[in-house]
Amino acid sequence: MSEIKPNEAVPAEKSGDERDWAAAKAFFDNLKTKVPRPPKPQNAVTIAVSSRTLFDLVAERKVFEEEGLETYVAHQVEHEHEPLKPGAAFPFVKALMNVNARLRALYPDSEELFDIVLMTNNHAQVGVRLINSINHYGLTIERFCMTGGKSPIGYLKAYLTNLYLSRDSKKVTEAIEEGIAAATMFRPTADAGLSDTQLRVAFDGDAVLFSDESEIIVKQHGLDTFFEHEKKFENKPLAQGPLKCFLEALGKLQRKFYAKNERLNCPIRTFLVTARSAASSGARVLKTLRSWGLEIDEALFLAGAPKGPLLQKIKPHIFFDDQMFHIEGAQEMGTISAHVPYGIGQKYHKGTLIKEPEKKE
Amino acid sequence: MVSMVQNQDVQQKDLDHAVVVAVTSRALFESETEEDDGPAYRGGVAFPLLQALQRVNEHLLEKDPTESLLFDVVLMTTDRQQQQQSSGFMSSTRHHGLEVSRFCFSSEEDFVESLLKNNIHVFVTTDENEAFQANQKGVLSLLLDENSASCPSEQLRVLFCENSIIRPGSGPTSSSREAAQTFSSQLGKMRQKLETSHSPLCFTLVTLHGGKDRCCGALKALRSVGVSVDEAYCLAGAPRSPILSLLRPHFLLSDGCSGSED
Repeated sequence: MSEIKPNEAVPAEKSGDERDWAAAKAFFDNLKTKVPRPPKPQNAVTIAVSSRTLFDLVAERKVFEEEGLETYVAHQVEHEHEPLKPGAAFPFVKALMNVNARLRALYPDSEELFDIVLMTNNHAQVGVRLINSINHYGLTIERFCMTGGKSPIGYLKAYLTNLYLSRDSKKVTEAIEEGIAAATMFRPTADAGLSDTQLRVAFDGDAVLFSDESEIIVKQHGLDTFFEHEKKFENKPLAQGPLKCFLEALGKLQRKFYAKNERLNCPIRTFLVTARSAASSGARVLKTLRSWGLEIDEALFLAGAPKGPLLQKIKPHIFFDDQMFHIEGAQEMGTISAHVPYGIGQKYHKGTLIKEPEKKE
Repeated sequence: MVSMVQNQDVQQKDLDHAVVVAVTSRALFESETEEDDGPAYRGGVAFPLLQALQRVNEHLLEKDPTESLLFDVVLMTTDRQQQQQSSGFMSSTRHHGLEVSRFCFSSEEDFVESLLKNNIHVFVTTDENEAFQANQKGVLSLLLDENSASCPSEQLRVLFCENSIIRPGSGPTSSSREAAQTFSSQLGKMRQKLETSHSPLCFTLVTLHGGKDRCCGALKALRSVGVSVDEAYCLAGAPRSPILSLLRPHFLLSDGCSGSED
């Protein structure tokens, strides 16, 4: 997993970039209705969301699947002035905006903020409706890529994306393979009362924050071997998983609040929700986090109990897990879940090896 | 002295309706050194562009064999030295199966005149001075460089962007701006005849400095002149080269929203 923001710009390019930056600053400073200027990608925590995660495009998708692309685009253009309804990532985006507002209040000149980019496969003509909808809800999204069908991977890299959310598992898998933290979002079937003052992010441990090395042992050798192994290697840090860098980015922003004495009032809270048990295999996880210099606010060891009820209490804006049956369980109880298609867990369903590849929508 | 020769191997286009693109021989062929296998010159930086133009024509004719809104390519030499190699260019064109309908031989003094006389809509060259001269007389010019060689050959990509980045230094004259607008609307009409996805002609809009509303405004402005943009990127000050290097456009045109000449 690459580090957060390598800065490798060549000198000549850098001066061109600075000119563009200055021109953008001038543009935003001169706007009649003040809108916060988006930060430089290298300073920001960039979250890329697809149009189908940001908005509810289920009905429109049906038009596309049943009547083809041309009809779909025409339909969207015809309904351009009707705002779309919020999607699965909408509460998450609002929570990010709230954190930004708090950060700007404490650090008015800092660019260490969340930058939300709309990264969609949609045709640019559909884009007008998307922009109108963004304006309708007052979302601070100024950057977007409407690739008209082309792969978003190159653009994700160009924006130094820290997290990519999509409904398309193929794109998410591709992003993870390219070293970009990504997850496939699922809509909860019930509505939860989410916090609007605090961003709450829940992570599974193995194959999400950590590599799937231990999960391989469980799947191939069973739980007893797994416990022995974890106890034996308690002091050896686990390798990192696809979302470790995102947790790191959140931690960096959290520390900015702590530095201003806002720990109790911090608008970011992180949770570890793992099937590991505290007694037998939990220590290694906590020690690994410590060795990485990362903090997690609450670590919940379920010892195999279902995650759904606990997540219902936590009410995260997003919950990352690598195993679909955890995702489904959480979704049924109203949690906004995001599947991380990484590691050995993709080849199994509820503990049994899947014979053929899992079909996605 | 200017002379124009028709290529007998290629069907001539209806000049009342075609979009005429003149490409210099220096841009199309690497004629400094001869190729090892046979008498043909190797393709130059304009090669992918020509192949892309040809693909658009093929698709348009597939939809309607009587289509007259097609690209008409003229191979142009612009100096006396190149004139010596005229037969080499003609045979190389044949060798590569290029759809060049006419060969125009002129010199440094009279090439602009021949551009005007032959109603050239776009002039493609690798020579900055030539581009400047043509621009001054109101002919839309496209300056190619070594990056152009890596443009795709299976899709013609047209990029619309804020005025300021089109030609920093050699700003557009009002007549070349007019030529650009005509060209845009001709392309727009062509695009309408082609399929929505996997089209051989693709319009991309890039907003470098402004925010989403600037970009949205440009989308609508282009729509109003018959250009339906396929891809849109709003950078809002983010570094441009990572994105532009992915887009690899053949043509760079103004987005028509030149309210703020920043």
